Amino acid sequence: MTLRWAATGVVLCSVLGFAMGVAGSGAATACTPAFKGATAVESPRYTVAWRTQPAGIAVGQHFAVDFVVCAKAGAAAPKEMRIDAQMPEHGHGMNYKAVVTPVKSEGGGRYRADGLMFHMPGRWELMFELRGDAIDRLVAEVILK
Amino acid sequence: MRRRLLARIAAALTVTTGLGIAIEAGGDSLLPFTEEETTAILRHGPWPQPWSHDPSNRASGNAEAIFLGERLFFDPRLSVNGKLSCGTCHEPERNWIDGEKRGLGLARVDRNTPSLLDVRLHRWFGHDGAADSLWSQSMRPIVDAREMGASAAHVAKLVRGDARLACRYENIFGEAPPADDDAVLVGVGKALAAFQETIISGRTPFDRFRDALARGDRQEAAQYSQPAQRGLKIFIGKGACNTCHFGPNFTNNEFADTGISYFIEPGRVDAGRHGGIQKLNTSPYNLLSRWNDDPARSTATSTRHVEPEQRNFGEFKVPTLRNAVLNAPYMHDGSFATLREVIRHYSELNEERLHADGQKILKPLRLTPDESNDLLVFLESVSTFTSPWRGNSGTDDPHCEVRKK
Repeated sequence: MTLRWAATGVVLCSVLGFAMGVAGSGAATACTPAFKGATAVESPRYTVAWRTQPAGIAVGQHFAVDFVVCAKAGAAAPKEMRIDAQMPEHGHGMNYKAVVTPVKSEGGGRYRADGLMFHMPGRWELMFELRGDAIDRLVAEVILK
Repeated sequence: MRRRLLARIAAALTVTTGLGIAIEAGGDSLLPFTEEETTAILRHGPWPQPWSHDPSNRASGNAEAIFLGERLFFDPRLSVNGKLSCGTCHEPERNWIDGEKRGLGLARVDRNTPSLLDVRLHRWFGHDGAADSLWSQSMRPIVDAREMGASAAHVAKLVRGDARLACRYENIFGEAPPADDDAVLVGVGKALAAFQETIISGRTPFDRFRDALARGDRQEAAQYSQPAQRGLKIFIGKGACNTCHFGPNFTNNEFADTGISYFIEPGRVDAGRHGGIQKLNTSPYNLLSRWNDDPARSTATSTRHVEPEQRNFGEFKVPTLRNAVLNAPYMHDGSFATLREVIRHYSELNEERLHADGQKILKPLRLTPDESNDLLVFLESVSTFTSPWRGNSGTDDPHCEVRKK
């Protein structure tokens, strides 16, 4: 799917190269108790801590993303979550549509996205789209070799 | 033609062939490969890939199913006129293709006949990926009006009416061929798939080089000719061919628009992957259907998450490059007669034929004649003439002979 992310009226927080470990990170730790092995991306209003299942992403193999969303002070919890990915240098996205479902048994703010696949090696941008009173897009960079 | 190709490979490569013939080294040596290049090279192995059972097919790996599948594969009674079998187009002695530009069954079809070599490793089947399992793909030509022209009823009647076929069917599936014609057709497809899972390619000069590189054996690696090494560098570097031709089987199992015309003839278009997804989604035999033997649907993730998009028009499956030297003619429509023509296509790519929102990665490679030659030598080195597959020459199935008594 070809992605057009540069929509107006959205808060796009590109955090390429900013992915940080959750452990030892104050904001993320507060969001993600007992969420081991996660990486976090942030926007002014949210932190998303995420990890993949399986832990290593392989080219051409499906994987899932488990993630937790934490609203910072003054921000409302998002009402809807979407996830997508693209290869900016190639101008294309994934060949599969990921589906996000809340993981209610794990408490609020916990989600699982199924059906992702990075079908080429190279630089991918994994995007979390948080929809509520506004749209926040948090982007993490993944490089596959 | 095969002898000429063998002679070319022997001249170009400094390898020990599968026949145990040492080809003169000719003073070749190992070129310097960066860590990044080495990582990319190692991704193309090991080979062969380990066996894995297809959970959607309870006949997968079953010796009796393989036996029955092989017999059905070459049985022309599966066709409506009793003259065409799967093996008519997928000829073992031709690398499981027919050598035709476009396949010929009861009528000429729109696409080139793909090889069945290593077909067990595919995610999608057919140039458009209209099937998501080897067993459902195996049913399709049987009932296609232009290929074998039969029907589920025709196949079911054959299996029920032939004592040996019925016996073998029962041995595999635990019940006599049922009254449901569709169920028998699916069973036949699963037996055919079990057989085709055994069609695997042998190790190639490239595999020996790759493994030598993996274990740090520079002396062995240096036996791989310098033209092949230079071609490999182009493959993973300037050419970026490994972006799509990725992994041990040299394909990412996905689809791409490579600027090949999708007009079958004036006024008639091959919808490619777009049509394939639509067929998949409406197929009563896809992996989300009741015919999937895996209750967990563990191999159905791709089917569950794929949706047709506009850009899928003009996309066709990325083929494996293993034994490509034996797969002529090339591309989904057989439009190129030789691998050299394929290389020229990518070297002089007409970007205007790509979709506007297509992949920016496809650019004309502008290869020099020497670079083209090197890339060709590399591609030839991913081939072997020593096929591990041997036909089962037995005429009887002892299990069914015993049952008859």
